[in-house]
Amino acid sequence: MTTTAVVNPEASSGISIGYSVGSISEWLRRVTVCIHGPRGTRGSGVIWQDGLIVTNAHVAVGKMHTVEFFDGRKAQGRLVARDPSVDLAAIAIEAAGLAVASIRSARELRAGEVVIAVGNPWDGEGAVSAGIVHRAAGTQPVIFADIRLAPGNSGGPLADARGNVVGVNSAIFQGLGCAVTSDAVKEFLKGAGVSEAA
Amino acid sequence: MPGFLVDFSNELANAVERAGASVISVPEGGREGVSGTIWREGVAVTAEHTIRGLDEVAIVLPSGETAKAAVAGRDYGTDIAVLKAANLAPAARLADETQARVGEIVLSVGRRREEGLAATHGLISAIGGPWRTGQGARIDRWLRLDLNPFPGFSGGPVVTARGEVIGMATSGPRRSAATIPVSTVNRVLDQLLQRGRIARGYFGVGIQPVAFPEATARALGIEGERGLLVVMVEPGGPAANAGILLGDIVVRVDGAELRGAHSLQGALDSEKIGQSVAVDVVRGGKLVQLNVVVAERPQK
Repeated sequence: MTTTAVVNPEASSGISIGYSVGSISEWLRRVTVCIHGPRGTRGSGVIWQDGLIVTNAHVAVGKMHTVEFFDGRKAQGRLVARDPSVDLAAIAIEAAGLAVASIRSARELRAGEVVIAVGNPWDGEGAVSAGIVHRAAGTQPVIFADIRLAPGNSGGPLADARGNVVGVNSAIFQGLGCAVTSDAVKEFLKGAGVSEAA
Repeated sequence: MPGFLVDFSNELANAVERAGASVISVPEGGREGVSGTIWREGVAVTAEHTIRGLDEVAIVLPSGETAKAAVAGRDYGTDIAVLKAANLAPAARLADETQARVGEIVLSVGRRREEGLAATHGLISAIGGPWRTGQGARIDRWLRLDLNPFPGFSGGPVVTARGEVIGMATSGPRRSAATIPVSTVNRVLDQLLQRGRIARGYFGVGIQPVAFPEATARALGIEGERGLLVVMVEPGGPAANAGILLGDIVVRVDGAELRGAHSLQGALDSEKIGQSVAVDVVRGGKLVQLNVVVAERPQK
């Protein structure tokens, strides 16, 4: 596994929207994992901090999980916290030197800002979709985005135009993507006592 | 260092914010509340079908304050209702929709009760000429959008990436978004503010499209092979006065062949009211021409 790319790509290197989305996506894929469930189902997760993956509670149902990284390597993950009321779970992995997501608060996001999602729907590993913030989250724990999500996106990152993760994709509601905000994730990790783990 | 995508993102957010300064919420509209667009100072438009039967509605202004607005006029045909309230400002920045291009990025902007501004994005996927709504009203331009309509988007503006309004959004067929372009809104708004309603021409007939056998159509010189069978004649109405009978098949109005029920409504625009128009009907296998004086459609 490459351990060099630990910063966001140069956003200014883009010469077109396609190129820009491409480079941001490349970065996001490095911090996105595929979580294999029983019966061949799969979801996604975000490498939130060293050795810790954040995903949805509805993705991390069991105690142990096979976590697959962007380069195909696999590791065993152990569930350390789970709260279905906010649809979040934390999985600890024995792997060092991983690229870690850079996090931005979702509170200052404005309606219309570009957002990018990476995940593992049934027909594409590390699949990318792009859209905009549907409405500002404010202090709400969920942010709505006008973006096309599929079931395998669950647990994966929703990031801003700089590649900063602002939420964890969790549901599709009335055609809109719903993500648990990064702020709610921080609170969940703090409440579970795992935020200082790294 | 702000990059291309960051600039693009900021521009879209700015466009939503700029347009949103003139977007109101109409919480009573539709099932979950709809939006409205401040079109001129003191005047907003919203989707007529969402506030049917209401003479006054509560609104949430861009500032977040609530107010009452009077429904000053409504047009069922174009789905435009006019709201008036003293504190409706600032007016939206209106674009010349004839400058809109296929492929251009557009945003549908709405306001949801306390939750504030909401938007979805997409493209203008096709532009066409005038079209008629299911209610027979003329819309000056067809702006087809590739865009997800969201709950409460009706009545809000469709804006360019610069935040300029190209039309009012409303629901189209099959969960699509239809756009009533700026020119049509302006035209209807002027009439509604003057008269409170839109005058429409009227024949006083009930019709049913029918197809002629090819040989009959050829013998009578009807190219489209279609006509409108008169199944009801309103007593004392314009058609009755002109001598149109039950069972007549209308094939031409003003020399133009009809192509379905919409085309008859099309031949009856408000400028025809009071005028005599030539109507060709097939009666007993022969073409007969009658002159009908178009009246104004009575109020429901």
